[in-house]
Amino acid sequence: MTGAAHAPALEARGLRRRLGITDAVAGLDLTVRPGELYGLVGPDGAGKTTALRLLVGLLVPDAGEARVDGVSVMSGGPALREALGYMPQQFSLYGDLSVAENMRFFADLFGLAPAIFRQREAELMQLTRLDRFRDRRASALSGGMYKKLALSCALLHRPRVLVLDEPTNGVDPVSRRELWDLLYQLVDEGLAVLLATPYMDEAARCHRVGLMYAGKLLAEDTPAALVKGFDDVTWLVHLSDAADPGARDAAEARLRERPEVRALSPQGGGLRVVVDRAGDAEFRRYFAAADAHWRLSPVAPDFEDVFLRLVTHAS
Amino acid sequence: MTLRARLTAFRVRLLGLVAKELRQTVRDKRMIGILMIAPMIQLLVLGHAVNLDVDHVPILIADEDRTAESRDFLNGLTAGDAFRRAGEVENAAAALDAISVGRVPLAAVLPRGFAADLAAGRTAQVQLLVDGGDSNRAIVAQNAAQGYVLRRAQEMLAQRLGRAPGRVRVEPRVLYNPSMNSRVFFVPGVAATLLLVVTLVVTAMGFAREKESGTLEQIMVTPLGGTTLFLGKTLPYALIGMVDLGLVLGVGTWVFGVPLRGPLGVVFLGGSLYLMTLLGGGLLLGALARTQQQSLVAAFFLIMPAILLSGFASPIENMPGWLQPWTLLNPVRHMVEVMRAVLLRGAGLADVAPQLVALGGLGLAVFTSSAVVLRRRLA
Repeated sequence: MTGAAHAPALEARGLRRRLGITDAVAGLDLTVRPGELYGLVGPDGAGKTTALRLLVGLLVPDAGEARVDGVSVMSGGPALREALGYMPQQFSLYGDLSVAENMRFFADLFGLAPAIFRQREAELMQLTRLDRFRDRRASALSGGMYKKLALSCALLHRPRVLVLDEPTNGVDPVSRRELWDLLYQLVDEGLAVLLATPYMDEAARCHRVGLMYAGKLLAEDTPAALVKGFDDVTWLVHLSDAADPGARDAAEARLRERPEVRALSPQGGGLRVVVDRAGDAEFRRYFAAADAHWRLSPVAPDFEDVFLRLVTHAS
Repeated sequence: MTLRARLTAFRVRLLGLVAKELRQTVRDKRMIGILMIAPMIQLLVLGHAVNLDVDHVPILIADEDRTAESRDFLNGLTAGDAFRRAGEVENAAAALDAISVGRVPLAAVLPRGFAADLAAGRTAQVQLLVDGGDSNRAIVAQNAAQGYVLRRAQEMLAQRLGRAPGRVRVEPRVLYNPSMNSRVFFVPGVAATLLLVVTLVVTAMGFAREKESGTLEQIMVTPLGGTTLFLGKTLPYALIGMVDLGLVLGVGTWVFGVPLRGPLGVVFLGGSLYLMTLLGGGLLLGALARTQQQSLVAAFFLIMPAILLSGFASPIENMPGWLQPWTLLNPVRHMVEVMRAVLLRGAGLADVAPQLVALGGLGLAVFTSSAVVLRRRLA
């Protein structure tokens, strides 16, 4: 990260927005600095997309403010939008236009002169390796190729802030890796990137992470610091009769009843269990006397444990 | 940003939008069909179908008298273009049955004693049975039959007197459409209503599609202003609408013999003002609707009354008094009037100035409110 000392490129202050009967975003504060990759992570329905739409000005907040380079998104007008690049989660390009035509169209909307467009188009085509598909219609692209095109369209005007909503959703592992390499390259060049993702492994790759749940941030820090501050104990419960689907469900139901168990998730043929440190001795005693098919082994906590523990606590 | 740079950016954005719209339209074969081919086919079909001329009406004959005089009278009735003999029945009851089951719309009954009455100098009865279901045809057929009876009576009177009696005759001189061909009257109206359907639906659905497919959101995060978007979304269809108007006029002239008596420039001026209302209205519907389906339904809710209250098929003077002033808010009314006046009567700019002013006023109001709504949505 290069821009820790810089002023925020993107800022949310007390953002609130109600959608129907739910507070989709219920008081969000966050900052993304130039050259920083910030991950907004949370389960489906946590309010990530609404937060992003508020931050790029597609939704009007009920309260609070979003700022880009210190200027309010709601009042910044066209000049502000030139500083922003946004890639929504769903298909948002013209399926009946080709790769090159889509890029040309968005370059026109940003008022790029033809010579500048040609230069940037060539750069982005090379960077994303889309040049082989330039005449292919967007609707005929694979998931990964489409996301690369959407990213290219969002980058044509060289924004200072890039907002991405689940950019690797529906993308194969190879394209996913390529997209991440591309993002690191852009961030190294000083771009401020905010991305929403439901994937913990992706969140762990960000410089800083905000854990979002029910419209609020539960925690915010670097992934390493969040794991380091994790005070509970993580165990892996091996089930020798894991092949029996009923056995794992029964084990899960029994473990959930334990008051010291804070979070629980399936892992391989067993269960990953987060246990309250104060109740750890009690948990081990219970375990020793429990089912003979079970075996316990300690595992190092990871980012997902932190997230599950916080979500369980919040809900 | 300097003014010059702003203007350049505006031009690049607008041309980019127009090029994209035209590219998408040309690429979509169904859209080209809707915009260019469907209006031509509809004009050809509707132009032939919408025809109020009444001739060769099938007439059933019931000659109860069965005399040389009655046969002569009935032969004369069906000799012209007005009626076509559809068959014969025994009596009035059978003729009534045939009408009540819808076999024929008209029957002429000559009761027993027709020839005897005539010979004795009494009033002879001829009964005409008319199916009033199609009131227009009924009235025209009735008039034609009465005309025939009147002519026959005069001939008989002349025979009896040995010389033609002095008489008064009305000499009608029909101006502008001397053959009273209803197609010539209807085709300009069909053209105006076709433009309404095509442009309103296409712009409304086109904008709703941008919303539905998420592309509008992608546009909204660019510096594109509402005015540029509005112009970019209307100009291509204005162009297509003008081409449609030209094609429709061509077909109207060559196929239906609609005269082009007045200056065509006035028709196109009216057309461009008319298109302002239609395109602005279409975009407004598209902006307010959430889905393409909603926009289509809303468009049809407007199209139906706009056509019915335009004077296209039934005269505005025949509408209820309270309704008539409201039709002044209907752009279709003004466009139909402009087209009929210029094409059929050879009216010039000054003659249709009130209609053009009305079209311009409506166009400006709808165009502006549509642009304001879009600007608000994109602000």
